[in-house]
Amino acid sequence: MGNYQNMQAANRNANGVNLKLLDAAIRFNAMMLGLTGGTVAAVVVYFATQTSMVRWGEDSGNFLGLLAVFFPGYSVTSGGAWIGAFWAFVYAGVFSWLSYRLYGRVLGTRISEVLLSTTPTENPVLKPSIMRLHGMSLGVAIGTMAGVGLFCSTAWLVVRGTADESVHAALLSNYIPGYSVSIVGGLIGAVQLFVFAFVACLLLAAVYNKIVEIRHKSV
Amino acid sequence: MNRPVKDHEILAAVFAKMDVFGLAIAAGVLGALGLSVATAVLLLQSVPESYPVGPHLSALADYLPGYSVSWGGVLVGAGYGFLTGAVAGFAGAVYWNLAHYVALGVMLISSAELAD
Repeated sequence: MGNYQNMQAANRNANGVNLKLLDAAIRFNAMMLGLTGGTVAAVVVYFATQTSMVRWGEDSGNFLGLLAVFFPGYSVTSGGAWIGAFWAFVYAGVFSWLSYRLYGRVLGTRISEVLLSTTPTENPVLKPSIMRLHGMSLGVAIGTMAGVGLFCSTAWLVVRGTADESVHAALLSNYIPGYSVSIVGGLIGAVQLFVFAFVACLLLAAVYNKIVEIRHKSV
Repeated sequence: MNRPVKDHEILAAVFAKMDVFGLAIAAGVLGALGLSVATAVLLLQSVPESYPVGPHLSALADYLPGYSVSWGGVLVGAGYGFLTGAVAGFAGAVYWNLAHYVALGVMLISSAELAD
């Protein structure tokens, strides 16, 4: 028992927070979000491809087919739908996983702020509390990942030598002034997308938390 | 909040449930705002006469019947954006909760086996 207590004490910081447990919690939920994001994205790409084929037959894939730039082997065909689902799972899974890691890092020891009630429940595992969202941390995490994602996508178009032909990507300048399919344009776009995503996350968290408060007033 | 976080709070945060209705509505609101603003931004930009406005965003009409890049389309887009966002939010929240239950089940089985 003495060894166990020593081990517990070694895991805590100056404020008595169990950092090892906190890190394990963040890693676990990052994996869960990775699975969730990856699966939802895979299902969306699979059904979008199938819908496109059913509706337009041989003419399908004009826009959806552009995904092949980032999804090697993808095409708007039955086999391509599975390949698209695989890549969507990988990309969205990694995006979601990294987003939660970042969210957890930014949130840090304020993790209890995501709980509707910090009163110990009978069993936090079997009778879970309701989750709230921390808008600022979510904004920083999703905004950073979105910005990095846009920059990497743009850089990939530049590196593969198709920047001048990427007319569809260039249309982003309608929404992101100063964006172009170039390294500098990618950087400008990344910064602006960070801001857009940050604001969107603040709004998402505010609406979600308000609904949670209304629906679980008695908690 | 400056008070130190307790172990039971970390555990509670790990297994906290997502409010499915709350996330569906919140994602729906974001989706509605996103598509209507995306449409309105194109309409507010100056385009030469007889030049099509937002031909690429208009292609969404293939999936969203009745949608167009027009002021009427802003409203229709808001409706579709809400619906799409709400479905995504609902699916995400349900999957999140389900994944936690499954993971928890696996952990309980593993710990029971270890105890044996």
